[in-house]
Amino acid sequence: MSAAPLTAQLSPGAGAFAIVVGAAIAFGAVPLFGSDYLMDAVLTPFLALALAAVGLNLLTGYAGQVSLGSAAFLAVGAYATYNLHLRLPQLSLIVDLVLAGLVAAAIGIVFGLPSLRLRGFYLAVSTLAAQFFVQWALTKFGWFSNDNPSGVIDAPVLSVAGVTFTSPAGRYVFSLSVVVVATFLTLRLLRSQSGRNFIAVRDHELAAKVIGVPLLRTKLLAFGVSSFLIGIAGALWAFAYLRTVEPAGFNLDRSFQILFIIIIGGLASLRGAFLGAAFIVVFPLILSRAGAALLGGVFDSGVLEMSQRIVVGMLIIAFLIAEPRGLIALWDRLWRVVTRPAAIRNT
Amino acid sequence: MFDYQFLIEVLVGGLLSGVMYSLVAIGFVLIYKTSGVLNFAQGAMLLFAALTFVSLVERAISFPLAFAITLAIMVVLGVSVERAVLRPLVNEPPITLFMATLGLSYVIEGAAQLLWGTQVHGLDIGISDVPLDIAGVFISRFDLFAATVAGSLVALFALFFRYTRTGLSFRAVADDPFAALAVGLRLPRVWASVWTASGIVALVAGLLWGARLGVQFSLSLVVLKALPVLVLGGFDSIAGAIIGGLLIGAIEKLAEVYVGPLFGGGIEAWAAYVVALVLLLVRPSGLFGQKLVERV
Amino acid sequence: MTAMMTNAGILALEAAPAEAAARALAIGNAGDRVHAKVTDRADRPVLALTDIALTFGGVAALRDIDLAVAPGEIRAVIGPNGAGKSSLLNVVSGLYRPDRGQVWLGERAFVQVPTARLAAHGVARTFQNLAIFKGLSVFDNVLMGLAHRVRAGFLRQIIGSPRARRIEAENRAAAEDVIGFLHLGDVRERAAGSLPYGLQKRVELARALVARPTLLLLDEPFAGVTLSEKLELSEHVRNARDRYGATIVLIEHDIGVVMGLSDRIAVLDNGSKIADGTPDEVRADQTVIDAYLGVAHQDVTELAV
Repeated sequence: MSAAPLTAQLSPGAGAFAIVVGAAIAFGAVPLFGSDYLMDAVLTPFLALALAAVGLNLLTGYAGQVSLGSAAFLAVGAYATYNLHLRLPQLSLIVDLVLAGLVAAAIGIVFGLPSLRLRGFYLAVSTLAAQFFVQWALTKFGWFSNDNPSGVIDAPVLSVAGVTFTSPAGRYVFSLSVVVVATFLTLRLLRSQSGRNFIAVRDHELAAKVIGVPLLRTKLLAFGVSSFLIGIAGALWAFAYLRTVEPAGFNLDRSFQILFIIIIGGLASLRGAFLGAAFIVVFPLILSRAGAALLGGVFDSGVLEMSQRIVVGMLIIAFLIAEPRGLIALWDRLWRVVTRPAAIRNT
Repeated sequence: MFDYQFLIEVLVGGLLSGVMYSLVAIGFVLIYKTSGVLNFAQGAMLLFAALTFVSLVERAISFPLAFAITLAIMVVLGVSVERAVLRPLVNEPPITLFMATLGLSYVIEGAAQLLWGTQVHGLDIGISDVPLDIAGVFISRFDLFAATVAGSLVALFALFFRYTRTGLSFRAVADDPFAALAVGLRLPRVWASVWTASGIVALVAGLLWGARLGVQFSLSLVVLKALPVLVLGGFDSIAGAIIGGLLIGAIEKLAEVYVGPLFGGGIEAWAAYVVALVLLLVRPSGLFGQKLVERV
Repeated sequence: MTAMMTNAGILALEAAPAEAAARALAIGNAGDRVHAKVTDRADRPVLALTDIALTFGGVAALRDIDLAVAPGEIRAVIGPNGAGKSSLLNVVSGLYRPDRGQVWLGERAFVQVPTARLAAHGVARTFQNLAIFKGLSVFDNVLMGLAHRVRAGFLRQIIGSPRARRIEAENRAAAEDVIGFLHLGDVRERAAGSLPYGLQKRVELARALVARPTLLLLDEPFAGVTLSEKLELSEHVRNARDRYGATIVLIEHDIGVVMGLSDRIAVLDNGSKIADGTPDEVRADQTVIDAYLGVAHQDVTELAV
């Protein structure tokens, strides 16, 4: 295969066997033997955040366009799914999801238009406009939340073709299926000419233009696909994980959280998006356990939240300075250390 | 009939709060001009300064002493941030530096609240908020005071960077860091003075905003008010920050009063961004920003 | 007669105005009038500049430049720093819009060449400061040179429609060919950004060549490479012409390499073309010696001493 940086990410040799084993564990063992807590509070939010991070990584990591407005597209996805389900009940939930993704994509493209003239901070600042505008609109116009006074929406029952996914295991399997399909298609896209165009635009926009890469189309494609994925992630976040959401839940902090996932996990790496999401979900749980064990009562939720902020912030800085390629680079290095001696022994 | 007196009132109110936006924006511009960093942590620094000051005052330390101590802490904070975070990243692309300051803002916000608690502190700097009646136009006394303080500080900085030796080196570094280095300017000293200045800005702005809104977490969000100002004025122009701040202040208030009702209100949150965005599409480097010719 | 079409700021003269091109060729070959009569298709210049002028804020970067590059030629444009070489190349690739004059690419004339359509017009270029895609593998960098040929939409690319697959396969074969030609096989899967400078230059050359351009513009290809790399690289440039049939225009301030490599050399000084001819003619030209080697300056200093 070509696309060396991509294939290098899929650890060579592991290949099909790893995929089969992984699928058996993820779709079989986990829902059968995993606790409700594990699936409800850990795995389902992990999957939603991972998909959002895949979306943002496509835009920021691969295509080099920084966005601080991811939460807006999560919100668009969630509210679009809700309204499609409410107002067009004859549609299947899968169709709702795809359409909601397309709505998010359309809005993403609109807010991506400035990217044709702006770069760097200016673009980052302009994506904040999406963040504030969407949050405002969802709170302001009751139509979006079926006239709930505070814009809160309640998730409908997840059901596809008569099969309902109400239990924690069901919602986990539903999310997993959606995330696997979406990630697979994203991987295909990244390995195609469009994917190479993203990186080309990121690495040297002028050279890309001279070669004949359509800058307009490439950037808008990145914004569109990215928002599509984040929109679907938003629907999962709202309907498979929280089940009751309000616009305030999609605030700027959420946008930063997704940006932090890809910085910590690894820019321009789909595996990094998953690793970063896992870290962001698991880390507070570990921190709160550790804090409670070490400090006891002093370690209340306020202290937890603040120390979490401090540690996450320091990690961002540390990764940017010491390992800009993120956790995934550490992981790969570790993997090589673990596998190399074995390889030598075998030969 | 159209109420012109009311229009003027709204406009003046907007311009006065605009001066405070300018003040925050200048904190950004100083650092941007010398280190090429959009310091997102400026808001967190502001929160940290205000919280520290209030907490000291609540512990029965006099205003001037609390001010001096907080200022010292801010300078130390600024200089150590420059050392520990920005210097190791000096040759990285600007957007990486930006993300680092994003992380930094989390650290500072977390630390400020871990240290001083998360409750809201009132801050009374002794200015009554009885509106002043000038020829039938009511103007908030507090706004006027805040604008005066902010305005003088802005003027002070403008003079400092125009007429002092450090100011001269500052402009040289901003113009061409390599050339400045080559002629023997000590970059670290310029950086340190810039971070000191931004610490002062953070403190003063923190106190002014804190007195108005209460000293609490949301104070760090003032940074979000400054961003459209920067976009409008250009990240690298002090004049742009001043005029951009006034413009945004005025536009925000006018939009809220005259356009807001059409949308059901609350458009303050994004009106400034939309205005800035529209301007960006016409002039990608702001009203006053330097237009860089890309060399191939 | 010439038909004029204005299209988004681009002036394209569709019909072939052989006279104008021939005029450029004639002016380009002062003292060699034979070419003035040549108007047949085969010898039409691949690139012709007529009367190009460019100023930056009142400073003239290019003055009345005429240049004609014949098919299959390796044409060097030399001159001291600031002579206008880069400006010239940027005018040809449409990055700058000249104040006056036209750029002819084959039969089409432009006031400003549309950069985004450069590849479609059969023009490729390299950059003085490397412009490779650091995050892509060497192979993918080369493949990028064919980006303009991929017309399938992204959904087709994801699904892998027969058309998208066919184009991808053709492009891969073409990239494979250039990789072999420029001996990049050993590093084809390495991230381009991790290679040494000389190799990165070769990757950029490969990316430019893969589309088999009719006109290849090289922007200081020998800057910053070692002597052995220079020799190797100039061999590659010559092979590129011989094997891929590309007409080559290169700008360079190092006269040495250029003399042996080029068929003809144009000399720029201070934005004006001061000489144009074979390496031998240029070497013997007194104006060139004065301007380029700075002999005149030496005279002045000698007099002063």
